[in-house]
Amino acid sequence: MKRIRRLTAALTFSGVLGIALPALAVAASVITISGATASAPLVTLLAQKYVKVKPHQVKFKIAQGGANVGIADVAAGRVTMADVSRDPLPSDPSGLEFYPIAKYFVCVVTNTANPLANLTQAQAQAIFTGKVRDWSQVPGASAHGTIDLISRTSSAGVLTTFQQLLLGNKTVSSIASQEPSEGLLQQKVKSDPNAIGFLSDYFALKGVNPVGYNGVGCSVANAVSGQYPGVAHFYEVTRGPATGASKAFISWIKHSAAARKIIASSWIPLN
Amino acid sequence: MLERLRHPWSDRRAELVLGAAAASVCLVIGLMIAFVAVRAWPTFAHNGLSWLGPGGNTEHQIGKMLYTGPHPPASAYHLSAWPLIYGTLLTSGLALVFGMTFALLAAIFLVEFAPLTVRRVLVPVVRLLAGVPSVIYGLVGILVLAPFVGNHVISPAQKRSVEYVVQLDGTGLIVAVVILTLMITPIMVALIADALSTVPTAWREGAVALGVNPLRATLAVSLRAIRPAIVAAGAFACARAVGEAVMIAMVSGGNAFTPKPWDGVVFLFEPLLTLAASILNNADALSAPAVGSTMNAFALLLLFSAFVLSLGSYLVKLPLRRYHAGLR
Amino acid sequence: MSASTTQALPARAPRPRRSSLRSWRWSDRLVYLLAWLSGLSLCLVAAALILYLGVRGIEYVSPSLLFSRPTAGVDQSQIGGILDPLLGTLLVVAIGILLATPTGVCSAVWIVEYGRPRWLARAVESSIEIVAGTPDIVIALFALTLFQLGAFGFLSFTAQGGGVYGRSFLTAGVAVSLLAIPPVFLATRDGLQALPGHQREGAFALGKTRVASIRRVLLPGVRPNIGTGVTLGMGRIIGDTAIVFLLLGVGASQRFDFQGGTPGLGALRGTGSTLTSYIYTTSPAGEGNAPQKAYAAAFVLLLMVLALNACAGFVSARGAGGRMSFGDRVRFGAWA
Repeated sequence: MKRIRRLTAALTFSGVLGIALPALAVAASVITISGATASAPLVTLLAQKYVKVKPHQVKFKIAQGGANVGIADVAAGRVTMADVSRDPLPSDPSGLEFYPIAKYFVCVVTNTANPLANLTQAQAQAIFTGKVRDWSQVPGASAHGTIDLISRTSSAGVLTTFQQLLLGNKTVSSIASQEPSEGLLQQKVKSDPNAIGFLSDYFALKGVNPVGYNGVGCSVANAVSGQYPGVAHFYEVTRGPATGASKAFISWIKHSAAARKIIASSWIPLN
Repeated sequence: MLERLRHPWSDRRAELVLGAAAASVCLVIGLMIAFVAVRAWPTFAHNGLSWLGPGGNTEHQIGKMLYTGPHPPASAYHLSAWPLIYGTLLTSGLALVFGMTFALLAAIFLVEFAPLTVRRVLVPVVRLLAGVPSVIYGLVGILVLAPFVGNHVISPAQKRSVEYVVQLDGTGLIVAVVILTLMITPIMVALIADALSTVPTAWREGAVALGVNPLRATLAVSLRAIRPAIVAAGAFACARAVGEAVMIAMVSGGNAFTPKPWDGVVFLFEPLLTLAASILNNADALSAPAVGSTMNAFALLLLFSAFVLSLGSYLVKLPLRRYHAGLR
Repeated sequence: MSASTTQALPARAPRPRRSSLRSWRWSDRLVYLLAWLSGLSLCLVAAALILYLGVRGIEYVSPSLLFSRPTAGVDQSQIGGILDPLLGTLLVVAIGILLATPTGVCSAVWIVEYGRPRWLARAVESSIEIVAGTPDIVIALFALTLFQLGAFGFLSFTAQGGGVYGRSFLTAGVAVSLLAIPPVFLATRDGLQALPGHQREGAFALGKTRVASIRRVLLPGVRPNIGTGVTLGMGRIIGDTAIVFLLLGVGASQRFDFQGGTPGLGALRGTGSTLTSYIYTTSPAGEGNAPQKAYAAAFVLLLMVLALNACAGFVSARGAGGRMSFGDRVRFGAWA
């Protein structure tokens, strides 16, 4: 019995060692990212490609939460990098470095059963600030009844971009229901014929009706040519200048052809 | 070393080891209360008692906190939690009232009137309903009840009547209260039925012998006798309702709005938010110090309310100790 | 029955009939009706819930769903199956029960068999009550803040930049074990208290030490109670959403995310999902857009809860004395 117990103890010990030692040997660095839901699809694709191109060097952990959550996380040192979908604001914590990686554009969207073609800035402002509450007061709309405003929670970068670029810096009314992610906003607009909201282009061009702005249609062509005003940048944000694995990742995004191809698939490359 | 462990332990050593295990539970609980209180302190310090008062949409105030950096100024902590407190009180209170009525009737049915076959079905049913995870209740609520209320119960005229203040889409007070009642009733049914069955049959039979019909005998004798258990069941169910986060986050509309009873029927459809649901919604923003402090303050409030409920039920039971039956 | 007894005993007394309803007041009749309605409606609601989830679930549950892994995708038909969440649930339950059972049993044994100093015994009992009454979101919040401290970096991982992630199966398992301790503790304590004193006295009379009598006489005697407590604790853990939602992280994917090079320790320190967090995330309240998958996962989860309930009934039926009452079983198995 004594021998069996000694043997079991020895086996367990070596088993644990056998598991632990390889873990110590392979020390891949981990990049944690949190932030914008608008750029999460892009960053996920880029991360997957990067891991294929340079295996065993980096592991990614990508969370979302909204651009402002990402900024708070990276400022607190909770994550390595933040995905941010808006330009830096004066209220941002100091010491953060913003690295642009791609361009995207914001569209006003309605349900496909309500094919609103165009809104002027004044109309958009009136609707989103809650002055106009009924579809009968919106020319070109085929919906009836109360306008259901769908917006984003205050952690969203796309919200800031939308307010800056398309609403002339007016704020969205507090009546609007606040969705925590682009996906949920898109889903709400898809399921409610009286809904109106705003989405980044990756989500706006699928299954909902993108509304033109000041006579210019919301499309990739108009965004690239510069006619459409709602174009903004995706950034990767680090606390202090990027170092080590994150620096390598950001420069790969900026310079490699594979990354450019991924960006060009649904977004707009920087150059 | 292994040799020594193999020998039978002395009583002293066993007592110490077992006592350490028991004390570790104490330690963890104490640590939890301390952690939450310490982290919640900044928001109370900066707001004072006005933290509990009304004054604006709480979710917006939390949203603004995200813009402050790692060392937010005192003004960043500004918050008025009343809409959330009101939402919690409203949903839990209504659910408790409806649930308690329902549970009393069902418990009396279970113990007195149910034929054996029905009783054999009802006991597992109660156990099942009590054990269903809250996320499943929330799923059914958000995929079935909320769209039903939004599309078939709320009329466009009602939506228009509040369109300048809030948007109605089916998620809101009534769906939350209905599902919350459903969640807390089985627990109360089980506790009350348990207590009813421990009342000495002689007491009831005495009443029946005096000519009272069985229902009145139950109401007059058994229910009075188990009042402490009813209070305990109510307190337990209330604590459960107050702490429910996931289901409420899914069906309550997520808007820190205070439903106004004087809106009439529309009151039932207005969205709201509770303390626990707010913690769940803001869980990924915890790294912003102001948000983290606020969430811990909510958690402290929840802990405090659970504590108050159990203390209150203990105090209420004290004068009822004359009746020996059904004491927990 | 022989002829003599039929003459000696009176004819069998008629079973006392319920007083006919007609003799009752109308208010009593109303309450009687309401009581019947309440009882039956509970059954109806449960049946409706099971049927609805069953119908919706069976529509979408298929063997491929159960055994394929979740994948990232925009449309819900592309997001794969629920294998990872299923395994994640089992993993969290395993860790939680492994931590909770020794703690609960040891605490109960200490309280019943030793219990000195008195103030400590009272403190332990109050703590267990407090844990049983704490909302799970508070436990989740506390655990997240605790495990994001640097000292606990070994439980999850530390990202480049110094932030401890704080979320992993290990941390979720530790937090969830707090939920399972009250049922195990109470079941064991009730069982031990219900053991007849002569068992202990006999053991002492034969010269066994207290330790030995615990090990050889008492604990085997309360095995069914421990079994009931463990099953109830498992039920609580399986049904918990808030803790796993906060402590397993909500990543873009629901898959196991191994941390470190080794399969065993790596899974424990990595994140993933469980059925409950998967349902929350795929429902319209979470990230997602996949009600079909949510229904399927909800159906699987409901089956697991039903199975556990049946198990708990079976385990406790085999036990002798000190069985948990109906109310206690529901109370401690149901804070889900």
